[in-house]
Amino acid sequence: MGPREVLVTGYGLVAPTALDAATLFAQIGAKRSCIRQHPVFAELGFAASAAGYIDPVQWQAITAQVAAGDTPLPRQSLLAEFVARQALQQAGLVRADFCRVPSGVFLGANKHCVSRDLQEASRYMDDVGSVDLDRYLDNHTLAGGPFARRIDQQTWHIAQLLGIRDHISTHSDACAAGTMAIGAAFRAIERGDIDLALCGAVELMAHELSYYSFDGLGAICQRADLAPEQQSRPFMNDRCGFVLGEGAAMIVLESRQHAERRKATPIGRVLGYANFCEAQKITSSSRDGSHYAHCMKAAIANAGLSCDAVDHVNTHGTSTQANDRSEALAIAQVFGTGVDTMTFTANKSAIGHSLAASGALEAVLSLMSLQQGVLLPTLNYDPANAEFPELNFLTETQRQPINAVLSNSFGFGGVNSSLVLGKA
Amino acid sequence: MNSRQTKPVYLIAASVFNHAGTECADLHGTVQAAQPLDFAPDQLAYPVTVPRLPTTVFDRKIQRSVEPQGARLLFCAGQIAAPLNDLQLPGERVALMAAIPEVDGPSSCWEAVQAIAEQPDALLAQLFAYTPPLHALMMLNSSVMAYVAEALHCHGPMGGFCSQSNAGVDALIEAFEHIAEGRADAGVVVSSSPNLSPALYLRDTTERPALAAPDVYGEGAAALLLTASPPANGTRALRIAGFARGYSAVPERSHAVARKVIQQTLSREKLGLRDVAHIVAAPDTPSLALLLTDTQAILHSCRHMTGNLGASALLTEIALALHDQHDGYTLLLNHSRTGHWGAVLLANEAMEKQA
Repeated sequence: MGPREVLVTGYGLVAPTALDAATLFAQIGAKRSCIRQHPVFAELGFAASAAGYIDPVQWQAITAQVAAGDTPLPRQSLLAEFVARQALQQAGLVRADFCRVPSGVFLGANKHCVSRDLQEASRYMDDVGSVDLDRYLDNHTLAGGPFARRIDQQTWHIAQLLGIRDHISTHSDACAAGTMAIGAAFRAIERGDIDLALCGAVELMAHELSYYSFDGLGAICQRADLAPEQQSRPFMNDRCGFVLGEGAAMIVLESRQHAERRKATPIGRVLGYANFCEAQKITSSSRDGSHYAHCMKAAIANAGLSCDAVDHVNTHGTSTQANDRSEALAIAQVFGTGVDTMTFTANKSAIGHSLAASGALEAVLSLMSLQQGVLLPTLNYDPANAEFPELNFLTETQRQPINAVLSNSFGFGGVNSSLVLGKA
Repeated sequence: MNSRQTKPVYLIAASVFNHAGTECADLHGTVQAAQPLDFAPDQLAYPVTVPRLPTTVFDRKIQRSVEPQGARLLFCAGQIAAPLNDLQLPGERVALMAAIPEVDGPSSCWEAVQAIAEQPDALLAQLFAYTPPLHALMMLNSSVMAYVAEALHCHGPMGGFCSQSNAGVDALIEAFEHIAEGRADAGVVVSSSPNLSPALYLRDTTERPALAAPDVYGEGAAALLLTASPPANGTRALRIAGFARGYSAVPERSHAVARKVIQQTLSREKLGLRDVAHIVAAPDTPSLALLLTDTQAILHSCRHMTGNLGASALLTEIALALHDQHDGYTLLLNHSRTGHWGAVLLANEAMEKQA
């Protein structure tokens, strides 16, 4: 028996300024950026204070919909539940459905809000500069304190919510984590381990500690002369780094047999997946793009397709010099002259780089393009000043039916991963 | 593990680092008393010192750039560099999987607090730029894995797993699948326990469900080398014969989930518990006696030598099983405080004589 077919039947997301996938898709389609000046970054006097962040109004809406129990949920879990509900609703599933068949939750994540934790712990420093544990514990007797949280807290929360008994895993693979979580769920269904999965990623990293860190690596855009919404400029000659973002996205995957049994309407399909360790350098890829190309080719081969069957590429496109150049060179190696008939997009131009969540957000936007036959523009892109003008990055929304999308995620540490998504 | 036909996967090398020592044989040594933690004297632990990384494998500057947890992991990875090299595989055929749920967790967060306390006048940005623990805080799991990948030439599939103490099960299964399904010919699986920092203590005292008795913490790491071929030398081979995982957040359902996990693990070899010669499980595994009523198997655990190694506990026990080479089947059970169950079945097999 060959591998089983894997269908997408639902999705959900929260992105900066958008509380659902339709809003985000329409917003990018209308060329409205989700990137704004981050008030904390501005207050701290950062040279460039742009970020794609979930604002207090959004948090209020999220909190209002997700009922809290005795202990307030940490933000990662709140966000995860909010997005999971959207995905389940679209798929026509209820929580109990996950208990009836072998099922799983696969979520990517990198870390929790360490910034808040540091501030909280710092309140209990004594005169000599050590944290007074007794005083800390006197004030943190309940679960939910800064140190009570684990990196997999949102996976755990969703697994409890859905009553998952078979598979729960948390994938910590830097900027590729979301794509890898979807890939792992795809493989688990394909080989028959489970019938139903909720997969994606949650990331809340648009805070000052992440900024310090990535700025230290020279990865953040420092163009104070540009407005916040203009700072993420993938594949442009004048690009100079990424803009921090955050968000969450999840998709429902199920075997074709399971979807047909319950008469679900498929939205799309996961056709193929590949993931490789580059081990070139922690913060950059091979200059010639050969490792990215290897990963992209393997994903297309895994889908059982030839390269000319891919119509559209949702690039990793971070807007850093190194990534975008390597990815463009890799695209040329994989598709050759085929790029002439293809289209490309870089969603990070509109939403920033939400690290672990980026691959999941981009997978949802790719599925919507497949479903609606609408291709999204890349903001701040101008072919006249692009480094690789031969790549047809759209500057306006375009109506065009497509059958297969390649979605790339390449993480720090050399974690390369590519998904091939298809029409239902 | 379902019943489809896949390539067999063997364990051919392992390394450990923990309070008992740096060799698997050390886990059979004299039991030492656990030590009280200086920041919580009522809490006992088996700490280790930061290992020196083998300079024949890793660049010298890496020693300075990783925090203790990462150093332990790298030390163990370094110990299996030679047997991996002996396989003479192209890097693209070597997978790398890691169980390191705490690198980005509270341990490094605590170190950041300490570093700020020690240099209260330094600007936060400067601390981040120049203080190694803070560097580790903000670096991602994949950066530690990148050091392993670069030194051991692992260019195949890669994955990092963070499902608490069950992360070792996830990493092992993922490596197995890549080899069994033909995407890799070998797999390096690495794991590390959390650092013994006040953060770990604080988390355990505030997390639910509450522990029945205080855990004895341990620090350590382990690394395993899996291949699609049995060892070239020797007359016996240790094959991964089954595995399964499950989850229950509800303690009342935990027993049923555990039984299902054990049953699934044994099913591929069409075994019952009576067929298993050795069982490895921590003594505090919930309802262990009830789960094992159908077996006369010998129960093992090296927890008393190492303390609770968290995500590294299972890989440490597997490394010991490879060293001990018990006859027959060995079933290893793993349970996390928050409800994950994992099981791995190892088969010690006689190899056919080469013609």
